[in-house]
Amino acid sequence: MGILSSIADFIDGLAKRHRLLPWLLAYLFLLPLPFILATVFNEYLIDLANRICLFILLAVGLNIVKGFCGQVTVGHIGLYAIGAVTSAVLTLEPGGFGGALGFGWPIWAAIPTAVLVTAFAGLIVGLPSVRLEGAYLALATLGLGESVRIFIAVTPALGSSTGLMMIPAPSIGSFVFDSFTSYYYLVMTAAIVGIYFSFSILRSATGRAFQAIREDTIAASVNGINVVKYKLLAFVLSAIYAGLAGALFAHMPPGYLHHNNFTVIEMVTLLLMVVLGGIGNVWGGVIGAIVVAIAYDQTKDLVFYFMDRPVVVQPLVFGLSMVLLVMFMPRGIGGWIEDFQRNRRFIRRSEERLGGTARNS
Amino acid sequence: MALLETRNLSKSFGGLQAINDVSLKVEPNTVHGLIGPNGSGKSTFFNLLTGVYQPDAGSYIEFDNVEVTGKPAHYIAEQGLSRTFQLLRLYGELSVLDNVLVGFHPHTKYSSFAPFFNGAEVRRQDQIVKDEMFELLEFIGLAEHAEIPAAELSGGQRRLLALGRAIAMRPKMLLLDEPGAGLSPVNVDSLMDTIMTLKERYELTIVVVEHILKVVMSTCETISVLDHGQKISEGTPEFVKNDPAVIEAYLGREMADEDIRAAMDA
Repeated sequence: MGILSSIADFIDGLAKRHRLLPWLLAYLFLLPLPFILATVFNEYLIDLANRICLFILLAVGLNIVKGFCGQVTVGHIGLYAIGAVTSAVLTLEPGGFGGALGFGWPIWAAIPTAVLVTAFAGLIVGLPSVRLEGAYLALATLGLGESVRIFIAVTPALGSSTGLMMIPAPSIGSFVFDSFTSYYYLVMTAAIVGIYFSFSILRSATGRAFQAIREDTIAASVNGINVVKYKLLAFVLSAIYAGLAGALFAHMPPGYLHHNNFTVIEMVTLLLMVVLGGIGNVWGGVIGAIVVAIAYDQTKDLVFYFMDRPVVVQPLVFGLSMVLLVMFMPRGIGGWIEDFQRNRRFIRRSEERLGGTARNS
Repeated sequence: MALLETRNLSKSFGGLQAINDVSLKVEPNTVHGLIGPNGSGKSTFFNLLTGVYQPDAGSYIEFDNVEVTGKPAHYIAEQGLSRTFQLLRLYGELSVLDNVLVGFHPHTKYSSFAPFFNGAEVRRQDQIVKDEMFELLEFIGLAEHAEIPAAELSGGQRRLLALGRAIAMRPKMLLLDEPGAGLSPVNVDSLMDTIMTLKERYELTIVVVEHILKVVMSTCETISVLDHGQKISEGTPEFVKNDPAVIEAYLGREMADEDIRAAMDA
């Protein structure tokens, strides 16, 4: 507690000088990470770090619609798929491998286009939220998300069962982001900027409108909030995150996409990140993404034999942890963070008050 | 010129005629009472005015010279019609300050995409609004609780916050749905004082639904009485108090005269 408080004090002090300073500091801290990972562990962990950054983008985006606005969506992974496949297909050379579509666009035009296409798809995924709530909305969005994956799986032009290969890597001038380390800087920057914007939204009237809808839709509408508009806006904003994460995933080395990356299991993993993080808490979501991504990576090859038959452990572990989390830690890691922040505020206020009386007496 | 006018306002839920052909006018800068036994349609009436329910065909609602029949709730709020709820409907997990900030929403000066493109302007505007809302909180006596979640306030404080949130949008008219429900008589008196001060300060027109007749009789200039969805009486407190139709609706035919007086004065 003591160390945490000192760190928090330090960050608060920095933020007082300039609000971007803590972000800059975090960025500087993350710069040498690939070299540390490569030296202390191995190269593979940089790839894991890259995927964690993409999961952070996804989780932070999902948190906007689910955490801030309270709309239960299970179609997020479908948006991720749309972003990935759109950007891949736009950049592939025409007449490519296995009948895959290709338009030969430059990458820096393809990624924003993919984000826009995903934002539009997000609007469509959001439409059921105008009429449906809770579990019904979850089912509708699940259907939409899964149909995207199946569509990709059966369409040769989008890769079908072989997947899309040789997706080009981005480059600036002659510098090509084709190694784990160079790509790390791309996705890490995207993740930090994504987190920053998520706070900007949360602290604006837009974020307050989202939260009001989550807390009480009728009261929100009577307070002058256009509920339909803001619900759809939340879906579009979260789709922008998913589209960007998808596009960055497509061009990540080794430049290969397969519809297995967008299954319901991936969606459950993503939900687990947000639930572990504490619904509605941005930093909780980030920590959730890191913890779950590492756990996912460590358990994916675990198999034990029961009566000579192989049993895959991962779904068991993830399903069980979801149930235990909801039962025993419904506020997630974000709950701890909020308690910590509240205690600090309370202590600070008490100190101010005591300081005041001391001066007066 | 009436600020709010309804003509032939009706609403039925399946076979139940909740509001039946109610025509009503509320004059600006007055306190207008709406009373009636339980289930007489008072809350439904408020829900129709504020767009929470859609009225039946043939109804007409005009607010501040604009027809608002069947318009969405947020549009009606933007015209300057605000309300509180009987069950408050506060944003429990949001801080007290955020609750009133949401109330201010119709006056937000930047677009909903601005946090992405113009963060500096968003922060500047928000600071101005926060200072203003903090003043409002000071006025209703909740400033020192500004940062705690609304769900952690006491019952009386929650009622004050609901009032603050409704006033934050600077409405022309405020609809109060049983502001004194669940409060002790002393607290009801002080709440009514607060409401009357707010009325003067923000030049409000108030329509109030209240069960505590003493409150209605002492503060309202005009009172309308609903029973089974119909307006059965309207006039000054003195007139309504002595209207046989009202007495019958409240107490039935059999009650003796003295008992009626006693009940009305209680």
